[in-house]
Amino acid sequence: MIRIKKIFSLLPLIILFLFSCKKGNDTPPNPDSGQLAFLFEQFVDSVPLHLDTLIYENAAGNHYKLTDLQYFISDIVLHRKTGGQFFIKSDDGIHYIDVRLQASKYWQPTDSIIQDEYDSITFIFGITAEKNISNRFPNPPERDMAWPDILGGGYHYMKLNMMWRNEPSVNPMPFMFHLGIGQHYSGTTPDPDSITGYIQNYFKISFPLNLMIQTDVKKEIILEMDVNKWFGPVEIFDFAQYPMMIMQDQTAMELACRNGRNAFRVRVK
Amino acid sequence: MMKEFRDQQSERCSGAMVQWCNGAMVQWCHGAVVPWCHGAVVLIFLLMFISSCTKQKSTVPDFNPTPYNLKIPKFFPTQLKIPPDNPLTVEGVTLGRDLFYDGRISGRDDPDSLMSCSTCHLQSHSFECGIDHPKYIDGHPFGVTGILTPHFMLPMINLVWTNHGYLWNGSVFEENINTSKRNLEDITWMAVVAPHEMNSDTNRAKEMIQQINRYPELFKLAFGSETVTMKNIGRAIAQFVRTLVSADSKFDRYLRGEVQLNPGELNGYVLFMTEQGADCFHCHGGDGNPLFTSNLFFNNGKDSVFNDPRDRFSVTSNPMDIGAYKAPTLRNLTYTAPYMHDGRFKTLDEVLNFYNTKLVWSPSMSPLMHHISNHGIRLLAWELADLKAFLLTLTDSTFIANPAFSRPSKLPGE
Repeated sequence: MIRIKKIFSLLPLIILFLFSCKKGNDTPPNPDSGQLAFLFEQFVDSVPLHLDTLIYENAAGNHYKLTDLQYFISDIVLHRKTGGQFFIKSDDGIHYIDVRLQASKYWQPTDSIIQDEYDSITFIFGITAEKNISNRFPNPPERDMAWPDILGGGYHYMKLNMMWRNEPSVNPMPFMFHLGIGQHYSGTTPDPDSITGYIQNYFKISFPLNLMIQTDVKKEIILEMDVNKWFGPVEIFDFAQYPMMIMQDQTAMELACRNGRNAFRVRVK
Repeated sequence: MMKEFRDQQSERCSGAMVQWCNGAMVQWCHGAVVPWCHGAVVLIFLLMFISSCTKQKSTVPDFNPTPYNLKIPKFFPTQLKIPPDNPLTVEGVTLGRDLFYDGRISGRDDPDSLMSCSTCHLQSHSFECGIDHPKYIDGHPFGVTGILTPHFMLPMINLVWTNHGYLWNGSVFEENINTSKRNLEDITWMAVVAPHEMNSDTNRAKEMIQQINRYPELFKLAFGSETVTMKNIGRAIAQFVRTLVSADSKFDRYLRGEVQLNPGELNGYVLFMTEQGADCFHCHGGDGNPLFTSNLFFNNGKDSVFNDPRDRFSVTSNPMDIGAYKAPTLRNLTYTAPYMHDGRFKTLDEVLNFYNTKLVWSPSMSPLMHHISNHGIRLLAWELADLKAFLLTLTDSTFIANPAFSRPSKLPGE
């Protein structure tokens, strides 16, 4: 009896020792949930994007090469077949993609997705007004997407930098296809002093989906962007019509965003 | 008495407990009183518990440096570029400051051939040499042998936030396959051996420092060993350089709500931040990036022919990087003439005139230089004046007068 008492008197120490190195966040996975990752892929006319080479042509006949492509996708929501939604909340639901940063093209949210069948997905191109707040990202690379406060603040939804030309005999010229918050100007010129209001140009995109989330099965969703779809073919975006930049041209940004709704595609890997 | 006590208790050291008291332990246990046995077991568990979560062996440290509290200014990045193996400490920064200003780091003690970091990096010029330097004509420094540096200088400020590599071409960067050129720590040995700088060797440098009174003691305090190594020289100087934070210009105070910019400065700010204006911000930051550099590399339309073997292309081999260089911080511009990697512009007005009307197209020109179709931003004279007025609000006079960054009143051995 005494021996048993002694054993029990030492048990707390033994247990303390055995469990002392366990990480605090080693909680067992939710048995009713699975994992989901997102891959972000970019194409031009269904061919994987190749930077820095003047090989592309858009619907307007502009020949161009891309040097930079950076954008935000946010507020991804999975819609359950039986009703209800699952919101991806990791990183405040905002993900930054830079085609030159390989790591940014893969996003593994920490959310545990509820085990269920999902039949559609929605997401925001850019960042909603509620979340698109200046100084939200103090660090690069997201920081370098800052959109000037005088032009509405927050962050660029997308930077797409190009060199383009119509004729092979001329030197390619820059085009900065940058999207973000637009401005209303009281006059005919985009004088910042005449700004009377701002326009949120972000937009929501929906896709049907056939996704079954199961325990212990990691699924991947691919979000593809076809760059050329920003420039047509339904509404032609001709680089020659705009003075190499569109941050202060709401008409151009609106046209771009109308096209942009068709620039994405989603599939389950 | 003691024997009797042992005898009475001996049977207690058996059974389950004996399982723990086997081997040498059993002998000790049986040779001692049972409460000692239990006490020993408890003690061992406690020790195991305490030591079980300790990653390193629990040796008594022979030095105990004090963490250096680097304050992050408002709106500045929260992620600091500090390698895990070289955290900022008060002792490291103090030693680094001494070494930064000590010409004997060149491995020499002859007064005529001394060269330190501070020979060229002057606090009064935001740690550049400045265009008015009595020795370096037009602000172009040269080494102890008279060989000119390949490039002019970059301001040595706010480097604790440098990403994308150091120097004009970013050739010292974290992922470099040349592991000896990866971080700020490495730039010291590079300067020691470079023919266009100290033209020395690392052995001479460390041996010289080793034999100077007090340095071994300072190295011991900073790094735990009195033996001077080039690695620790580089680590100490890097620590000091990382404390060189400039964040108290008029514009900083404006952002903090402490002062107001005048109408010209405000207009210049708007021009700086708008595409239809001067569009400086895409390369140099501004709103959201108070460093006033993106630390990225651009061909900014200075030339159409390129022959510099040390441009960004030399690092990346990407043809779009031909003639590209780091966009330097615009902070403290007033102190940092001449401008550009080759110092071609002697004044800020020359720089502004270049961007206004003199851009040159080339195949590798950055698309961010979208004003190229007009050969520049084409601002009116008063707009250029406003832009300049804004740029001058980035002047941080308290930084260049900060005694924490100046030459110590007395270096070791003096």
